[in-house]
Amino acid sequence: MATAAPAISTSTAQKFRAASIPFAAEWPIYAVIFSSTCIVVGLLWDISWHRTIGRDTFWSPPHLLEQIAAVVAGLTCGYVVLRTTFAGSAEARGISVRVWQIFQGPLGAWVCIWGTMMMITSAPFDNWWHNAYGLDVRIISPPHMVLAAGMIAIELGAMLMVLGAHNRATNDTDRKRLGLLFAYAAGIVVVMAAILLQEDAAYGNHMHGAKFYRLTGAVLGLFLVAFARSSSIRWPATATAGLYMLIVMVSIWAFELSPATPRLAPIYNAVTHMVPTPFPMLLIFPALAIDILMQRFGTTRDWTLSLIIGVSFVAVMLAVHWFWAEFLLSPGARNFFFGVDKWDYGSTLGSWRYQFWNLDVDSTGKWSAAKFAKGMGLAALLTIIAARIGLWAGTGMSRIKR
Amino acid sequence: MIREGLRRVAVTVALTGIYIVSSAHVGSPDAWYEGSAGPYHVTIQVKMPGVVPGVAQVFVRVSGDPVDRVTVFANKFDATGGAPPPEDAERVTGEVGLWSAKLWLMAGGSNSVNVGIAGPGGSGTAVVPVLNVATRRLELKRGMGIGLAATGVVLFVGLVTIVGAAARESTLPPGEQPSSRNYTRARVAMGVSSLLVVLLLFGGWRWWGSEDQAFARSIFKPLPSEAKLSDDRTSPRLDFTIIDTAWIHRSDTAWLRKHHANSWTPLIEDHGKLMHLFLIREDLGAMAHLHPSTSDTVHFPSTLPPIPGGRYRVFADIVHESGFAQTLVTSIQIPTGVATGVATPSEGDDSWYAGVPVRGARVVKLADGSTMTWAGSSVPLVAGREAGLEFEVRNADESPAQLEPYMGMQAHAVVMRDDGSVFVHLHPLGTISIASQMAYELREPGDSIRGRLGKRISAHRSGMDAADSSTSSVSFPFAFPKEGNYRVWVQVRKDGRILTGAFDAAVGAGVTPAG
Repeated sequence: MATAAPAISTSTAQKFRAASIPFAAEWPIYAVIFSSTCIVVGLLWDISWHRTIGRDTFWSPPHLLEQIAAVVAGLTCGYVVLRTTFAGSAEARGISVRVWQIFQGPLGAWVCIWGTMMMITSAPFDNWWHNAYGLDVRIISPPHMVLAAGMIAIELGAMLMVLGAHNRATNDTDRKRLGLLFAYAAGIVVVMAAILLQEDAAYGNHMHGAKFYRLTGAVLGLFLVAFARSSSIRWPATATAGLYMLIVMVSIWAFELSPATPRLAPIYNAVTHMVPTPFPMLLIFPALAIDILMQRFGTTRDWTLSLIIGVSFVAVMLAVHWFWAEFLLSPGARNFFFGVDKWDYGSTLGSWRYQFWNLDVDSTGKWSAAKFAKGMGLAALLTIIAARIGLWAGTGMSRIKR
Repeated sequence: MIREGLRRVAVTVALTGIYIVSSAHVGSPDAWYEGSAGPYHVTIQVKMPGVVPGVAQVFVRVSGDPVDRVTVFANKFDATGGAPPPEDAERVTGEVGLWSAKLWLMAGGSNSVNVGIAGPGGSGTAVVPVLNVATRRLELKRGMGIGLAATGVVLFVGLVTIVGAAARESTLPPGEQPSSRNYTRARVAMGVSSLLVVLLLFGGWRWWGSEDQAFARSIFKPLPSEAKLSDDRTSPRLDFTIIDTAWIHRSDTAWLRKHHANSWTPLIEDHGKLMHLFLIREDLGAMAHLHPSTSDTVHFPSTLPPIPGGRYRVFADIVHESGFAQTLVTSIQIPTGVATGVATPSEGDDSWYAGVPVRGARVVKLADGSTMTWAGSSVPLVAGREAGLEFEVRNADESPAQLEPYMGMQAHAVVMRDDGSVFVHLHPLGTISIASQMAYELREPGDSIRGRLGKRISAHRSGMDAADSSTSSVSFPFAFPKEGNYRVWVQVRKDGRILTGAFDAAVGAGVTPAG
């Protein structure tokens, strides 16, 4: 944590030493957290909508949620910036960063505004893309990545707004409350990242291939380590991973309870309810490892810590998910709680459902232990790099005060 | 040997590549159907999206009394989970009896568009088979490109500015002013982030390029084919061959698996013939409509009719059991005089015509002395608007002719643009293949064995061929897909003889060109 700069005057510092933060100063944080939540709920809903119903419009309910998210985040943060710039108090200006020497607002608000602009830009791009190359039903496409970058920016902006308030708070109650809110905002980011990985790292079928461990280590490892480093609560990575799992599980149960039928042809799988998201990865286990390691190592040996976190994260992921995958593909998991073996309306159901995908095979098509070991080695290396970046980013985030 | 085969394939692809191919027919992707839907007479146009998945526009014109409701839905021939609920079409403002609906076509290949009509006369349905394939590449328009680039610049500058502001001030305690060290840190952060974003944008650009190339490769190309004359000059023969290696090896499951070739379905007869082969001289001065026989559905030999020499474009219409119809395209040089004096066509339904119509003529004389009149509307022909291809045949004494069915149809028409970029073989029921339509109408749940449905369609057709149309006029629902000069050949059967009338059509640019 940064120490108070000597240049600050005592009188200015006293202005910010309020006993607790009034709601009037905090409502923009709740507004952007609301946007952040709408984004992931809308995204989970939209993916399920495309897998179940197919037919949608610009005004479908999941799309509306995304639009509400962009509007709320954009307007809230735009208002915060304009008010701070033209009618802001010394306190408000004091917790702002300046853009182009004129405009002032908290860092998170700027990131949210940028995210909103990205989301808006993606709409005509995506529309053109559909006309040019077809109505892509993939998650990963160039215009979708522009949209995703905008969504992630809003989620990160929300997180930064919470973090700024958290790091400024001098009152224990506020710090605890904002610490939990930060874990929630971070959990939302992890859900978003997991959605982006869904095509290659989500189903039990993926979990015997090294690709699953490379992707989860490089992406989720980075986020969890960064959140853990910047948070003040005791088990930050575990709490974040737990929130991710909870959000996804609740969505699974909600989808399974919602009747819906396909509205597009061809229908090869006559589903009767919304197709749920894949069961969440058991991220709490590697997250627990991160928390324990970070508590043991402190903040002075980050290179060593990155090395140990990288290897441990991949090892725990493998130890847990190798057997978890076998359970997910077994009849025991085909029930309401786990919601597995639920497939898109356009899927021709076959034995592929119970097979492992993305396996590390040799040129003859057989599983190769050497290839798998090589892939896992790469996964560990990527996770070590991700952990180092995460520690660096997390240290920076823990110092954010504006 | 293999290299020679590849070279031949490459040459054929290069030759056929000059055409804008759009599955069945060439350069004219829209599907037209005119016929009955229960008690109603309907004309249906399906404007195809040209991308997969895409949104088709369906127009339904219901003749006669107003109806209450028009619905549409799409389906695939092998969908095992039933059909989706139909979507309501809306009345087109200012047009009597015209309805319109947008229809999502998710799966590539053969699809059916199912139109339902409900009104005072009861309810009826019509099935229009369509071919959902990628047929065109959309260029990024200048305005759109500039707009996206400008927004990109704003977002780029915005992002780098925010990174700079974060590095400069975000960690300062409230109220504190940034020091020169903070400014330096901001400049470094902005430089590094600019570099990273440029690298990211470059990666994105490459990704877009590879997606575009993958799409370009997915644009539909019919099975490669070639046409050659046999060397035997005493009995000139035209040998049309499908040279696609996957098609040649289609029964070799090991080969198909090794080469990751798609599943295939056998050919089925379309109004009584496995193939309708058209030879059209490049200057449009001669045309032949042949029906080669085949024993292996790879080689399709036929006797060369007595057509004048020259370079010919060759179009072969075939239909698969899945309902997928395609037009194979190649070309052939026929030496002058090679077919002179040989007047024995390979089959009684084969026909040919040589001659150039008088420009602008609406009435032409047929080979037996009778006349054929283009009786359709005389308004200027415009691309994308229904062309009014209505023709009347009168005997030499001016009395209405009694036309007989020609391969189960009232008439056949061939439409060709003078540059070869549009070729359409159509009938009074439209551009659709009747066999494709029947593939949807006659399919039964047990039709998982290849060839079973095809046999049923053939049996069904032989019963229909006996029907007598007993009429003197025919019409074809169609809209020219783009402006240009076209020739239209109309073929009818009268007194057991096939007669061909040729007309020229100058088509202007339309406001809403099809495709």
